[in-house]
Amino acid sequence: MKVVNLLVVIITGMVLAYGTMDMPDWGDPNSPANSHVSPQYISDAVEKTATPNIVTAVLADYRGYDTLGEPAVIFSAGMACIFLLRRKRKK
Amino acid sequence: MLDFIIGKYNYWIYIILMMIGFYAMIGKKNLVKKIIGMNIFQTAIILFYISTAYKKGGATLPIIVHAHGHSGHTSHAIEASSYINPLPHVLMLTAIVVMVATLGVALAIVLKIYRRYNTLEEDEILKAIK
Repeated sequence: MKVVNLLVVIITGMVLAYGTMDMPDWGDPNSPANSHVSPQYISDAVEKTATPNIVTAVLADYRGYDTLGEPAVIFSAGMACIFLLRRKRKK
Repeated sequence: MLDFIIGKYNYWIYIILMMIGFYAMIGKKNLVKKIIGMNIFQTAIILFYISTAYKKGGATLPIIVHAHGHSGHTSHAIEASSYINPLPHVLMLTAIVVMVATLGVALAIVLKIYRRYNTLEEDEILKAIK
């Protein structure tokens, strides 16, 4: 069984390594991730949100509703933990 | 050939890290070790995203220097090539939140299993269920 697991892992790793042949080089300024929408965020963020830190501007301003929904994730996780871990009160 | 290796070796490092986590998830019998494997897997994905944000050629952190000038407006145009890509950082902040939530729920389920079966080994639990 260990051999099968190791084989699955190695095959998956080789498939992923084959997939990296099409990926852009590390640190390429013209890669698709760095050239499609992110230049607009970098150049417009200060003017539109008056926040020097672009990460903060995107997190709390452009994607404000996404960040607003994040407490829902934390809250459901906390609720799940409480309901899983509580013990029945002894009568 | 050397350029090819230098351009791609970061992906291979994350693939190795990811496969370590994947093996721990499917190969180990102990449930806590499976959760540790899941965390290694998620960390590998986060490192992969952060590495795509990097730009060669003197790019710095995505914080605009002298953003609030004396006149209230930026005097110089902001070059996109002088700041690294901020979007992967933002997305990984969200992913870290999800990572913490999954870790908490997984540990709670494992604790529940331990209270019921008094063991964390997968084969012993399966034997007790039958």
